[in-house]
Amino acid sequence: MSKLGQVVEAVEKYNQFVLAEVKRARSEEEFGREMVDRWNKVKSEIAVGTAPTGLKLPRLALPEIDEAGEITRYLLGEGLPGEFPFTNGAYREMYLEPLREAEGGSYGKSQPNGKNGHKKNGHAPAKAKQAEEPTRLFSGFGLAEDTNKRFHYLTGHQRSARLSTAFDGPTLYGIDSDADGVFGKIGEGGLAIDTYEDMVRLYDGFDMGSPDFSASMTISGPAPIIMAMYIAAAKKRFGPKVVPNLRGTIQADIFKEVQAQNETIFPTEASLRFLCDMIEYTTAEMPRWYPVSISGYHIGEAGATPVQQAAYTVSNGFAYAEMLAARGIPVDQFAPRLSFFLDCGLDVEYIALARASRRIWAIGMRDVFGAGPKGQMFKLHTQTSGRSLVAAEFKNNLTRTAAELMLAYMNGTNSCHSNSADEPFTTPSEEWIRLAAHGQAILLDESGIFKHTMNMLTGSPGMKAVERAVEAAMLEEFRQIEELGGVLPAIEHRYQRSQIQTAAHRYEEQIYNGTRPIIALNKYNDRKDEMPEVKMVRTARAKKQLQVDRLAKFKKKNAGQAERALDKLTDVVESGKNCFPTLIETVEVCSLGQITGRLQEVVGRFRPMV
Amino acid sequence: MAAPVRILTAVPICDGHDSAINTINLEFIRHGIEVVYLGYHRSVEDIVRTAIQEDVGAIGISSYNGGHVEFFSEVARALRKKGADDIKLFGGGGGTITEADAAVMHRNGVHKIFFAGTALTEMADFVRAHYGNTHRKRRKATADMKLARALTEIEDRYAKSKRVKKSASRASSGKTRVIGFTGPGGAGKTTLIDELVLRLLKRDRQARIAILSHDPSVVGEGALLGDRATMINSQNDRVFMRSMATRGQAGGLSPATGECLALLARSDFDYVILETVGTGQEAMPFQDALVQKTVLVMNPDYGSRLQLQKIVMLDLADLVVVNKSDQDRARTAMSEIEQRLDQNLRRQKLISTVAKRHRDPGVDQLCDWVMDASEPSQKRKKK
Repeated sequence: MSKLGQVVEAVEKYNQFVLAEVKRARSEEEFGREMVDRWNKVKSEIAVGTAPTGLKLPRLALPEIDEAGEITRYLLGEGLPGEFPFTNGAYREMYLEPLREAEGGSYGKSQPNGKNGHKKNGHAPAKAKQAEEPTRLFSGFGLAEDTNKRFHYLTGHQRSARLSTAFDGPTLYGIDSDADGVFGKIGEGGLAIDTYEDMVRLYDGFDMGSPDFSASMTISGPAPIIMAMYIAAAKKRFGPKVVPNLRGTIQADIFKEVQAQNETIFPTEASLRFLCDMIEYTTAEMPRWYPVSISGYHIGEAGATPVQQAAYTVSNGFAYAEMLAARGIPVDQFAPRLSFFLDCGLDVEYIALARASRRIWAIGMRDVFGAGPKGQMFKLHTQTSGRSLVAAEFKNNLTRTAAELMLAYMNGTNSCHSNSADEPFTTPSEEWIRLAAHGQAILLDESGIFKHTMNMLTGSPGMKAVERAVEAAMLEEFRQIEELGGVLPAIEHRYQRSQIQTAAHRYEEQIYNGTRPIIALNKYNDRKDEMPEVKMVRTARAKKQLQVDRLAKFKKKNAGQAERALDKLTDVVESGKNCFPTLIETVEVCSLGQITGRLQEVVGRFRPMV
Repeated sequence: MAAPVRILTAVPICDGHDSAINTINLEFIRHGIEVVYLGYHRSVEDIVRTAIQEDVGAIGISSYNGGHVEFFSEVARALRKKGADDIKLFGGGGGTITEADAAVMHRNGVHKIFFAGTALTEMADFVRAHYGNTHRKRRKATADMKLARALTEIEDRYAKSKRVKKSASRASSGKTRVIGFTGPGGAGKTTLIDELVLRLLKRDRQARIAILSHDPSVVGEGALLGDRATMINSQNDRVFMRSMATRGQAGGLSPATGECLALLARSDFDYVILETVGTGQEAMPFQDALVQKTVLVMNPDYGSRLQLQKIVMLDLADLVVVNKSDQDRARTAMSEIEQRLDQNLRRQKLISTVAKRHRDPGVDQLCDWVMDASEPSQKRKKK
């Protein structure tokens, strides 16, 4: 049995344990009283805040129950926010505005995770230090300096700079901008990175070692090479001491690439080895870095149902954990550095998709992998669904995204990207990306929905019903995968791929036959379909040429050293040793394409699956 | 009956968005279209070479991550440059392609762009109406183009009439090695052939290789000819590949295979590789001295030892390859098959491979065998 099969058993066992404990709380007087006492203590410690209207509200809302069995069901079955099994949230408090000093209670004050709290500075409560905003907007286009400018534009009004970087097609496939036939793709759909010097330009003006700075990079196939470039760029700007302070995330999710997104350049096993090399290095040397973002977003966008998306993502997570543990990395070194990324669309499952995922992850990590509390937390980034947006009467996309944002925050996401309404046709233009960012601010800062009380919208009977149904369906998917021998064998059987394709086909059919209403597309589509006038973001020829010229200059400058560096890398890769430290040296004199090309000679190329 | 419409579909280089094209391919097939699918992340060069070799009526490109104006225009330019612009170019990219883009692309030689919201059936109807009869005589046809067109003519003759006078000539031109690969579906024939091609191209720097690959189809219906999508080494100017649908014939090959193969064997190739569809136990697809040497590719998990007695090709194959030999059952499979072959007293060869593994020594052995297995034993002169 792979670890996944053990996870299924662990979740079932935990569910039975909860039921047994509920019964025990009702039958054993002492245990029941213990639970009631604990409940009363939690309630008594909840701080009270004040809404702008003067209304007093608790910082944490709890169900109105006082019976020992129900209390036990809640505390053990879903847990308080920030407590096992984390159904209601990975952290005790999220999105809440800082509490003013005079207000009582200790619940809101304790900050076990260093997040969302204020520092004691009694004099200026209004200016209390707030945690980072959860807003993290994905952007990237043109050359490094264009994206750099966009980053400054996006974060100018924020306390913290949380950047999220999109790369162009050639970069995602590990190809240089001077390769045959890719000229048109330079800087389209993301920015072009060929060398670590581009990386220096990309984050110019940002203090890469600051605790208020973090960078996310959405790239998987060549992720270790890009990560090495990031480290090399940071070292170049701030010296070697910056390395342990680097904060951020690199996607590096090979499983979902093979299952759905197709941006893989090395054979799966070789990709996984490079990934583990990188994770081993970063979890030891860069303790604040998230070296893999286990992603369902692309699985969802490729057409999976929400349950498939969550099931494949969480099972991929367990497969990574199994691999890293097998390599001998202690679970409490790597588990807290795994993070997740889910899609949020409009299907009903999204009401509780993240809740069910958090719960399964926590139980599996604790009971199968023996992880401590930090390694049990399913830390989640969410993006609203790009696939749900349509070109027809595209301003409706604002409403779609707003509804999805609502669902994402109801699910306690730790960070969130809201899509721009113009996304069906172009890389977002400034006008629409601004509205997308404001959508989040309206929900979190302007409205009172999320900023006063934790659990504001969780735990409705409907949400619980969806959560239970999703959990059962996810476990059923796990069983299917386990039957094929686990995640990797299932991938080789193309199980996940073919399931996703079948679901995608059904989705399209539902749109065409009208059983899935899409407003202005197949319902209320009486208005003549015109292409909207939007400003298309495209990269000018001259810019593309500039990138090619820069690369040529870099290659010329390093011509004397590149080959030797590649030979050294080859030796390390063939020796089976961790190649990541060498890679950090290689990128100083070699381009992305040079390194990819050499590594493909050594380990082979990825063979696409159909 | 008219020959089915044949088109090529692909996703451009640096683009992995294959969700739309997968759905569209299925719809095309349902409408009786034969679709050669080249897969995602494909260069202009690969697309144009494939279109010419497969002699399709049109190329459909699905592009979702930008650069489409340049990419489509480059494909159109390359077709013109090669004198193959009777092959029409169409495509789409959801909302990413604007009307203004489409106008530029149209001026650059793109025949049709489908915008977001086009019904799948509308696309299929359009393809059937416009791309069934696009072939024009080409003024400056290359050898590949002439060969491709001749193969089409053979296939079309068989599609139109059941009784076709069989071409007498089957012999190769002497230096050509014609090797047939067969075996059950999922044994990894396509991957194995692609890895073999990589080695042949590397070891013999002048070698030219032809591949005739087969996928199943029913008379009068479409087919997904998808082998190319997983073949990364066989997209090469020294490789001529043709994908055929069986068009209703049982046994793993098409009615036109014999004649097409004879033509390839007479053409200027060093190796001609024939790949059947996935076959059953009773299949013996290579009759009438169709090929010179035969290879049976097997999975280690064929079931019980008894099953081996029923596999006809185990008596006939010159070489048996047990692929996926990294599986647990491989060791048992090798010894069982070895015993089974010993009964035949024919000195058949047995090799185990892991075709998916880079630089697999088993595939190296296969390559040695293929290069040695030449009928004309003396080393041929280099061109």
